[in-house]
Amino acid sequence: MAERRKILAGLSEGQAALVLLLPFLAVYGAFLIYPFFRGVWISLHDWNLLAVAFNPDAKEFVGGRNYVRTLWGRNIEWGLFASPVMQTAGILGTGLAFFLYRTGRASRATALALGIAGLLFFLLPGFHPGEEGRWYDRRFWPTVGNTILFVALAVPGVTLSALFIAAALDGETRAKSVLRTLFFLSQVLSVTVVTLIWQIMFSPRQGLIANITEAFGGSPIVWLTDQQFAMAAIVIATVWWSLGIAMILFLAGIQDISKDIYEAAAIDDARGLKAFWYITLPNLKRTITLVIVLQIILHFQVFGQSHLMTQGGPNDSTQVLVRYIYQTAFRDSELGKASAMAVFLFVIMGAFSIVQFIVGREEG
Amino acid sequence: MNRGYYWLIMLLSIPAFIWLVPTLWMVSLSFQPNDVLARTTSSTAFGLIPLPFTAENYAALFSFGQTPLWFLNSAIVAIGMTLGVLAVSTTSGYALARLEFPLKTPITILCLIGLMVPEQAVFIPLYTMFADFGWHNSYHALILPRMAVPIGVFLMMQFFKAIPKDIEEAARIDGVGWLQIFWHIMLPLARPAMMTLAILTFLYAWNDYLWPLVSAREPERFTITLGLASIQSNFAQSEGLGRVMASGVIASLPVVILFLIFQRYVVQAMTAGGTKG
Repeated sequence: MAERRKILAGLSEGQAALVLLLPFLAVYGAFLIYPFFRGVWISLHDWNLLAVAFNPDAKEFVGGRNYVRTLWGRNIEWGLFASPVMQTAGILGTGLAFFLYRTGRASRATALALGIAGLLFFLLPGFHPGEEGRWYDRRFWPTVGNTILFVALAVPGVTLSALFIAAALDGETRAKSVLRTLFFLSQVLSVTVVTLIWQIMFSPRQGLIANITEAFGGSPIVWLTDQQFAMAAIVIATVWWSLGIAMILFLAGIQDISKDIYEAAAIDDARGLKAFWYITLPNLKRTITLVIVLQIILHFQVFGQSHLMTQGGPNDSTQVLVRYIYQTAFRDSELGKASAMAVFLFVIMGAFSIVQFIVGREEG
Repeated sequence: MNRGYYWLIMLLSIPAFIWLVPTLWMVSLSFQPNDVLARTTSSTAFGLIPLPFTAENYAALFSFGQTPLWFLNSAIVAIGMTLGVLAVSTTSGYALARLEFPLKTPITILCLIGLMVPEQAVFIPLYTMFADFGWHNSYHALILPRMAVPIGVFLMMQFFKAIPKDIEEAARIDGVGWLQIFWHIMLPLARPAMMTLAILTFLYAWNDYLWPLVSAREPERFTITLGLASIQSNFAQSEGLGRVMASGVIASLPVVILFLIFQRYVVQAMTAGGTKG
């Protein structure tokens, strides 16, 4: 025992570092870094889950074929107005980025990110199957589209409501702290509890929403199986669930704003909404960008809400990317193709992580 | 306090109450008899008040069904994962923040680059690896992948960097070894940061859905989050709405209690996890 103590005490700084780093590096290498590269490797194979489980040699190297099979099609052409809405949005986004940068309202990194996003929105939806052409995988791009739609609805929903609530609830009074707790509570629930609650909330026969609608003489909406409302339903559940984290990030941002500015403004009679508009918002620019980027990363990975509440339906209208990956891998057993889609997801998430990193490091 | 303040509180109480309603409804339904719920879910005040009242759903959960087992599985996985993450994160976080060693910068970058890799990008290869090892349907299969996520390393590293250097230097002059400094001086100082990381990890472990769904295929190995998903799709026919809601309440109890007691730490943990992970 004494001997061991002596050895431990006698370790040099470098040796001590090695001893302390080793446990993490071991699990990190084995269960994150290696699996990541293995995933890329699987994506280059025709790899059937069941076949390979029985016979490890049953996989075949196919190079980039899984990517082509997922992302591409026969006779794909690019047209300027193949998808007018998204392409127009893309042009506007790029223009807005340029305008914001020139007028000094956005930093270079923010403007660059917005500009690139706009450009992608302009370029990508332009691809479409030409005459007698078709996508090799008809479901993939609509699934990506659904995921983007979900993000496009959930992120502004969460951000705007969280921003107003945070601005109103900033302050150290008992009532405000109770209200903050109420808004935050749903955030700690698991996705399966959230979907359990909302599945029944939305139920046309038993649901609370239907019961209230009927009490006022309306006819209940079949939320989860109506193509018009299914996406709205999972967005509502998501906004309810994930408002809390955005709210506390905004609260932290608001607390960083100097109280002197508000006091000075109060002398000029700028209180309440006026103070919110002229002081809170401009000083919160960096936090707002951060929250938006975080939410995009978080909600792009949506899975449980779609998997449990609507099973991707009706008619694939709430099918999202992670659920499609999950099904391709574990229902269709096509691990190679599923891995190619996972790499696609990683590239998108990676791009946003870089934006997050840059925004996070920028001085406020 | 002026009149505007009271107006503000009253105005915000409405959305706050609406925010609470879904949770309240779940709790209230869990205390109503199943045969009543089969007829109507809005007996009293749209079902928000549990009348007629019964505690039978909770009694039934513990007499048959797998909810207690799933709860136990969740507790084992969540506690195991929390201890594991704390162990590897404090040690490596300290080394990266305070010690000098060759190749320090590249190793630090290597350790943190993993923050960019989302769970969904590695769950398929992890599945095949664990299948090769025959590890699925086990506790360690649910615990190990999260221990590899460097968010904890990052948080501990940030914390240790902020501690003044002279504490260590004094101990070094007295001939105390590096590992003893870590164990006897640094770890006690790091208690608040460890608390934050522990809560972040516990919440994640308790609520994680995708990886348990892939790895735990036998109902005996389900976590409560996964088990709840497995009974909610056909709740009305087999289990009875009241009992499924009671499972939901039981599944939420640990995290809600954790939140109400350690609210400050939970908020800190989620802020830290949100901004960096």
